[in-house]
Amino acid sequence: MKIRTVILGALAVLTASAAQAQQRRITGRVTGEGGASEPLSGASVTVVGTTIGSYTGPDGRFSVTVPSTGTVTLRARRIGYTQKSVTVPAGQNEIDIALVRDVLQLEAQVVTGTATAVSSQNAANAVSVVSGEQLTRVAAPTIDNALQGKVAGAIVSQNSGAPGGGTQIQLRGVSTILGNYSPLYVVDGVIVNNNSINNGLNVISGAARGNYSSSQDQSVNRIADLNPNDIESIQILKGPSASSIYGSKGTNGVIIITTKQGRAGQTNVDFTQRLGRSTLAKKLGTRCFTSGSEYSDWAANVLGDTAVAKRAANAATYNAAAVKCHDYEDEFYSNDQLAYESIASVRGGNQSGTTYFISGLAKQDNGLAPNDYYKKQSLRVNVGQTIGSRLHLNANSELLHSITQRGVSGNDNNGISPGNIFASTPSFMELRRNSDGTFPVNPSPLLPGSNPFQNADIIKTPESVFRLLGSATGTFNAYSAERQTVDLTLTGGIDSYADNAKIVSPAYGYTEAAAQGALAGTLFNSDANFVNANLNGSVVHRLVMPVFTAQTSAGFRQERRQYTITQITGRGVIFPTVTSVSQAAQTFPNQNQDLVKDFAYYAQEEFFTLQDRLLLTAGVNAERSSNNGDQRKFYTYPKFSASYRVPMLPSFVNELKTRLAYGMAGNQPTGGRNTFLTTLLYEGVTGARSSTIKGAENIRPEKATELEGGFDLTVLNSRVRFSATMYRKQIDDLLLQAAVAPSTGFTSQYINGGQIVNRGTELELDATPIDRKEFTWVSNTTFSQERGKVTSLPAGVNPFIPASGSFGTSFGNAWIQPGQSTTVIQSYQGCNIALPASGVCPTAQRTIALVGDANPDYTMGFNNSFTFGRARLTGLLEWRKGGDVVNLTNNYFDGYNLAADTLTSQIRYKTWRTGQPVYVENAGFVKLREITLGYDLPASLTQNLLRGALQSARLELSGRNLKTWTKYSGYDPEVSNFSNQPLGRMQDVTPYPPSRQFLFSIITSF
Amino acid sequence: MRKYTTALTAGLIMAAACKDNPVVPPVDSPTTNAVSGQLTAAGVKTLALGVLANDRNLVSELSYSKLPEIYARDMYRIDPNEPRYVTETLGGSADPGGFSGSGGWTNGYVTIRAANTLLAALPNTPETQLSVTQRQVVAGLVQTFKALDYYRLLELRDTLGVAQQPDNDPNTVGPIVCKAKALDYIAALLDSANTTLAGAGTASLPFTPPTGFTKFGRDYSKAANLVLFNRGLKGKVDVYRGLQHQSPTAGAFTQAIAELSTALGTATPGGVPASQFKTGLYHTFVAGGTENAPNPLSDSRIGVNPKAQAALQAGDARASKIIPLAKAISGSGISTSVTYVGSDAGNAANLTNPIAILRDEELVLLRAQAYFEAGQPLNGLADLNSVRTTYGLSALTLADVPTLAAQRDALLYEKRYSLFFEGPQRLVDLRAYGLLKAGITTPELSSDPFNTAIPIPKTEADARGGRDKLTPTCS
Repeated sequence: MKIRTVILGALAVLTASAAQAQQRRITGRVTGEGGASEPLSGASVTVVGTTIGSYTGPDGRFSVTVPSTGTVTLRARRIGYTQKSVTVPAGQNEIDIALVRDVLQLEAQVVTGTATAVSSQNAANAVSVVSGEQLTRVAAPTIDNALQGKVAGAIVSQNSGAPGGGTQIQLRGVSTILGNYSPLYVVDGVIVNNNSINNGLNVISGAARGNYSSSQDQSVNRIADLNPNDIESIQILKGPSASSIYGSKGTNGVIIITTKQGRAGQTNVDFTQRLGRSTLAKKLGTRCFTSGSEYSDWAANVLGDTAVAKRAANAATYNAAAVKCHDYEDEFYSNDQLAYESIASVRGGNQSGTTYFISGLAKQDNGLAPNDYYKKQSLRVNVGQTIGSRLHLNANSELLHSITQRGVSGNDNNGISPGNIFASTPSFMELRRNSDGTFPVNPSPLLPGSNPFQNADIIKTPESVFRLLGSATGTFNAYSAERQTVDLTLTGGIDSYADNAKIVSPAYGYTEAAAQGALAGTLFNSDANFVNANLNGSVVHRLVMPVFTAQTSAGFRQERRQYTITQITGRGVIFPTVTSVSQAAQTFPNQNQDLVKDFAYYAQEEFFTLQDRLLLTAGVNAERSSNNGDQRKFYTYPKFSASYRVPMLPSFVNELKTRLAYGMAGNQPTGGRNTFLTTLLYEGVTGARSSTIKGAENIRPEKATELEGGFDLTVLNSRVRFSATMYRKQIDDLLLQAAVAPSTGFTSQYINGGQIVNRGTELELDATPIDRKEFTWVSNTTFSQERGKVTSLPAGVNPFIPASGSFGTSFGNAWIQPGQSTTVIQSYQGCNIALPASGVCPTAQRTIALVGDANPDYTMGFNNSFTFGRARLTGLLEWRKGGDVVNLTNNYFDGYNLAADTLTSQIRYKTWRTGQPVYVENAGFVKLREITLGYDLPASLTQNLLRGALQSARLELSGRNLKTWTKYSGYDPEVSNFSNQPLGRMQDVTPYPPSRQFLFSIITSF
Repeated sequence: MRKYTTALTAGLIMAAACKDNPVVPPVDSPTTNAVSGQLTAAGVKTLALGVLANDRNLVSELSYSKLPEIYARDMYRIDPNEPRYVTETLGGSADPGGFSGSGGWTNGYVTIRAANTLLAALPNTPETQLSVTQRQVVAGLVQTFKALDYYRLLELRDTLGVAQQPDNDPNTVGPIVCKAKALDYIAALLDSANTTLAGAGTASLPFTPPTGFTKFGRDYSKAANLVLFNRGLKGKVDVYRGLQHQSPTAGAFTQAIAELSTALGTATPGGVPASQFKTGLYHTFVAGGTENAPNPLSDSRIGVNPKAQAALQAGDARASKIIPLAKAISGSGISTSVTYVGSDAGNAANLTNPIAILRDEELVLLRAQAYFEAGQPLNGLADLNSVRTTYGLSALTLADVPTLAAQRDALLYEKRYSLFFEGPQRLVDLRAYGLLKAGITTPELSSDPFNTAIPIPKTEADARGGRDKLTPTCS
């Protein structure tokens, strides 16, 4: 959007230049391959060697005035088509240009700064571009889900199968330990918020115990709110060599989202309706008892019911059961309500320079468990207006609302997570609703009372978000001459949302009563208000000379972000219909706030020479932030890059570009400037003393430096493109906590130190092996491999377990140690002494070893699209090789001997107790992420429907996550009990199971 | 012209944006900046309460409230989930890296850091907030508590030494000093606090202290009474300096006698009435709620060593401190069927029982101890009997305890049962008299190592570069 407006501003319709004596008007038409029957509007036609140019109108016609009567070269360019240059000899004033479709999407504009972009043909970085169409080919619930498998170098992992999102994108490995780990998201020039707000599940699950929310609340990162259908394209700056332009926020990469804009010409109305259904993708199963005596034997072993009378009673209980073996997962995860999604958009523009794009979305996804859902509504209005010949204004806004109910899942200590209940309930016990509407009290002696069906029925966990994103951009062409333009751009924007999460757990629930005792009846309310405000300004000077083109830009970027999260828990609410915390017997309030102000200056020079073959770039970004110890100090982040399109190639080679880029970015400290006071109460009166964690007055951002190099090769008539990139990213000045001698009164202090080095390779192969009129096959394959290592830790920091990285070494924990991978897993592996008769190796005698790594060996994506006639079949397969997960869910089943495969389970359990890492499992997988079969209705049919108003209609049948091939024994190898965090993600603790989704869509265009 | 406009516009935009103040103070939690610089009266109160509250945290730790009494063989704690309460105390050595060896250290130094911070800030408090004498009262109180916490750390570490935290430098790690030097340092701190308090005259604390200061027989918000607390503590320290042969033996004890007499309010041996025994400065406890600081001894897994009950003399009213358990507890090789009256978890009142920091009954017995050690057995017996007879036992005569050894035994008996489960006093005494050894004390388990001190935690050793860096210096 911005890039186009810059070009638009730069290419005045009429040039006001130092006058040349003779003016010549060249007109013509730009068409697609269909010739006259396929005019292309909105194509840019520029006069090579000058800044002169214009855009084609709705009929594909253009008109440019050139000062020369001699030969001129025109270049025509349009998104989706390969650019073409034609020479117009002297004396000719009319020319038609036919463009060829860019099937492999080799042409794109790549962002290089706040207001600058270069053609991907010249780009010196490996920037991934995903078009809106690729993003929404199969409806995905959220943007980050939609990016799975499509970006080389990105590992996009879902946290659980719960509806509404919760996904983490990791670009080029783990780049921090205590700092910020999320990539930066920029929508239409505005930095938007991707925080996760802990929604209080802990107060009923007891995962972290206590009365407050925790990191085990299965929370969702808020980029999930955005509507993927509004997106024109996404560009991903994968590492500091590219993201240097975002200074101390760029270490983890930047995801730049551009939304759809209006277009002059015919008004387009698009309407899509989808209907779908989700089903449980995998079951773990529970043990089936085949006889009363088998059950009484089990009870004797596990419960200690060895007495004869008890045995008999237990066998009788079994014999009396109506259903001898329930399939609990089938009964519980069976929400088969229809999911729907309705998307409508209007796009158009008039002759007086107004363009608009309006879209609306209403969708509902259903979770697998009863009463779980994800509902989202959004309205977007993007308006553009060109005023005069120099000024272009744009205003984009999106208003959205979502409400999610995800139920309870993940770790718990209160016997409330369905997985925990199934692992503790012998499978002949009936848990479904009784005929009179009540729920049976779970008779399992291991979990008195807890009934997941009742919990799903009576416990409410709605999380409602209202969000407004808005931005306004003005581009002013301050000066325009034949060879020079100067443009000013100013963008201001806001991302603000209010997230309200409630939990209502009535006192009469069996789990609630058992877990909370006298204080049964729990309410939780969280109100979070976030505002991000941005103001960016830039000046771009473009100079076109015969030998070189120079694009100089400079500007500033200002960001202010603040939030307040107020949470309150109420316990002991005895009246079930009351949802006000003021009725609680005890309340526990908590509030967090923060305000950050950032300011940056930047300057950049992009120098094209050697007939646009060589691009040299140098830039610097100087940023200060109130998060740093010295709030006034500017930290500088330089970048340098070069790309060269090799000339004189053999005929079958179309393009060979070599590139090298170096850049520095940073990661702001998230804390550590201050030594806080800890408040203590004495007889209810507040006392205070310094915290045991010492802050550092000079805390500074982590520094990431990246060197990236590669080449892009296009051969065989642009039908095959191969791209290879290698990079080395080094992160210094890591934010760490060093242990200090406790006799100083402090136990640790914040420091900057240590180093992580990430190295990797990314390969991409795009090809159209078959390209005929009746049948085409387009294939995209990506390969990425990344290795990260902690190369050093500073003095005072011994190897440690990162926060939330462990449920105990006996299962497997994350571990930070110099010389080891950042994602290494540590566990016990062996016993130092001979095993005692009990078969249990004492903890003190177990050998600690490094037993696995959470990082995959490599990942590959296979994206293939076959078009035959009006039908199209597209599929996306993702392969992740290697990578380990700690499967604690198995331990639940093993401990009580209620796993479906009792033999494997008990062998595993026995081995575990001898001190072996049995729960660390290989989590490699191949997933069929997307598959779509579409059929375009023939023109003869569409023209007759709706009296010709319908332009095109397509029917589609699609599936998401239909099949997973994996050796992993848990629900889904993609899992994280702690939701989003940089390390220690790989923990599977009775998560929400994954679903596969089938969709039927009707896509129409008017 | 156009270029000027461009530059001007751009410059204006940038200048306008620049004006946003980059400094953002922390809004979420208070930082130490809030209490550096000039303090207000409220700030002084908050920081002083912080010192007291953190001292209470130290007292509540298992390493202070339980382990020393277990080492002293009065307490058992039998917990099937945590056998280390026995295996690392009576059955083996403590592990400096975990459970029983790593506590009772950090909290002491956090309190000392809090005291040092307040002491450094007090001189800067303007007189409009606190008068000079009020400042002196607070300084005296805080300095006494600072000495108290060093003493508590030494009670646990004994000859291993303690670290001496630099007063005003949070970044420097202080040296580990030997026991003798530590006692000297504590004595000096107490004397300096005493001088400050004396200068405050009749002033009181500028804030209402917790009820443990006022509800137990004496109003310690007054400087004059804080002097008594200070002198009592100094007397206690001097008794142990004497036993260490610091100063010439007699001198230390004579000094102790004088200090303890000041604290007790009478120099007459045996002149302290029984009604005064419970008078003192106490920590109070709050069960549940946000504060959640219950009395640490209220614990169903605590029991009393049957030998402690067996050693009671017939007719001793203090036998009421030992009550039978509903069900005998046993594990890890030991068992008992009795517990401390304050450990009965079924009695909710036990959660809020106060714990004495220093009370007069202890001071009387300390004075008796000083008299005995100083070679004044008749005076010692006078004090000893004033306690003994209160509990229904017959008074002792010199003929009953003719030797110093016999006198010590009699004294240790009284101290044991008068101060039963009230702190590490018994462990300190058994150690001081060399009684915690094989051959003198009955082993509890066959592997009983007769532990006398809790090790310095591994975190301290690691931060200094290894356990070899923990050797105390004595010069």
